[in-house]
Amino acid sequence: MTAGTDHVLEVEHLQVQLKSNAGLIPLLEPLRFKLQKGRILGIVGESGSGKSLTCHAILRLLQPRQMEWSGTVRLNGRDLGTLSDKEMRTIRGKEIGSIMQNPMNAFTPVYTIGSQFVETLRTHTRISKQQAIQQAIEALASMNLPDPHKLLKKYPFQISGGMLQRVMIAISMCLKPPLLIADEPTTALDVVNQLQVLRELDRLRYECGTSIVLVSHDLGVISQLADEVVVMYKGQIVEQGEVAQIFDQPQHEYTQMLLRSRPTAIIDRLSSSTPIEL
Amino acid sequence: MLEVANISHQYANRSHWLRRIPPTPVLNNISFTLEKGCCLGLLGMSGAGKSTLGNIILGLEKPTQGQILFEGQDLYRVNTPTRHRIRRDLQVVFQDCYSAVNPLMTAAQIIGEPLDNYEKLTSVQHKQRVKQLLEQVGLRAEDGNKRPHQFSGGQLQRINIARAIALNPKLIVLDESVSSLDMVNQMQILSLLAELKKTHQLSYLFVTHDIRAAMTICDRVMVIDQGELVYQDDMHQSMMQSNHPAVQKLIAAILPEHPSERIVFDHQV
Repeated sequence: MTAGTDHVLEVEHLQVQLKSNAGLIPLLEPLRFKLQKGRILGIVGESGSGKSLTCHAILRLLQPRQMEWSGTVRLNGRDLGTLSDKEMRTIRGKEIGSIMQNPMNAFTPVYTIGSQFVETLRTHTRISKQQAIQQAIEALASMNLPDPHKLLKKYPFQISGGMLQRVMIAISMCLKPPLLIADEPTTALDVVNQLQVLRELDRLRYECGTSIVLVSHDLGVISQLADEVVVMYKGQIVEQGEVAQIFDQPQHEYTQMLLRSRPTAIIDRLSSSTPIEL
Repeated sequence: MLEVANISHQYANRSHWLRRIPPTPVLNNISFTLEKGCCLGLLGMSGAGKSTLGNIILGLEKPTQGQILFEGQDLYRVNTPTRHRIRRDLQVVFQDCYSAVNPLMTAAQIIGEPLDNYEKLTSVQHKQRVKQLLEQVGLRAEDGNKRPHQFSGGQLQRINIARAIALNPKLIVLDESVSSLDMVNQMQILSLLAELKKTHQLSYLFVTHDIRAAMTICDRVMVIDQGELVYQDDMHQSMMQSNHPAVQKLIAAILPEHPSERIVFDHQV
């Protein structure tokens, strides 16, 4: 660990190129951003702008046969690029949690939730199976999921997408990673589940001090949760700053267009009635 | 134009020979009407029965009870030729644009398929019409030669819309048609739909869980929860005052437009 950095994540000159017959095609122009402890960084951009690619590059999940990447990604001062694949595997999950867009694909359908939960916990921490089950039950209960005991015996396809996504967050909560990468965590969910997932993400940040990289194309999600925003367009960061600043004084025309495409009708209608409370 | 009268529906469960599993009720006594040129929003959480109701209205799923009257004719009691005729006035655009099209067909073939089925056009007229449809939904005529994998989600959804309007239908069921698209595309597709509604005097049944999307396009909204119609009105304002828990839950889940209007979570207090 290098002394003097309070940044959990530092990304510098991160660049990704696609290997093709016609040579290297740049997919990500050199990116640069930092994230402090307990903060949430929102990445917005249209589909195909390189949001997910950035996440995969941070996690070093790119296919080396297809992609070439360069630049430095530092987690708590440690350069992830210099680690071996084996070391990287211990970091994924334990130090960088990740939540993917489609929770159905993130679990294997042939094992129960419980066995996948316990497997993840025991890979990263030295605990007995009983302890792991106990932890899992506590984490699921804190996630407001009903009947954790029964839930552990179920298969992924037997429960809804929103519940699965909360199981994913529960796993992350047990491992208390300093960084969580949430790639479109609510896109596949309905609005009520969406709010629940956002609430739990926020709780993870409050209780464990986790920093979160939150990728979304929904400005509602960003304005609810993010502290800082990075706007991506065609593989480049076109704008970055505090969330209020991006919303109030968007500089880049793409950001302005994004803000214009919010359904604004709702605001006038809501302002006339009582404010929303939970 | 469309009258839905006392629709109830159950899904049969496969029973064991020793143990009969009762059918799962999904819709309970739902009635409403949809006038010409109106866009009716059908809101609800996942699993509420929205899509089932949409499928029943399209004639894809026979309800256990009740009637669907389309221009006075019961969709499930008419003879086959009449039904064939009615079906051309009922079209659909689904959420998953990629699985709604045949990946082996070109865009022009996809859009032209309903024309092949219903209208006797010469090949020149056919080509002309497909070109016109492509342009109506904001694509270029050359895009007709491309296949689905060459399009982005938003473009493919435009092709689905072009196919839906090809026969000048009267009602289009939009089953979560914009939910899988990003914000910019969502707004573009919604404004395209609003424009088509005006020019073609279409009616929409807009199935969604997103109040924000519904409010930008719908004239009236209904909320269903666990198969029950819990709210039905033409003014959004009073939806805010409805005290049904399902409606309130949906409203409380509307995300802020600006960071200053954040929803306060209970663990923060």
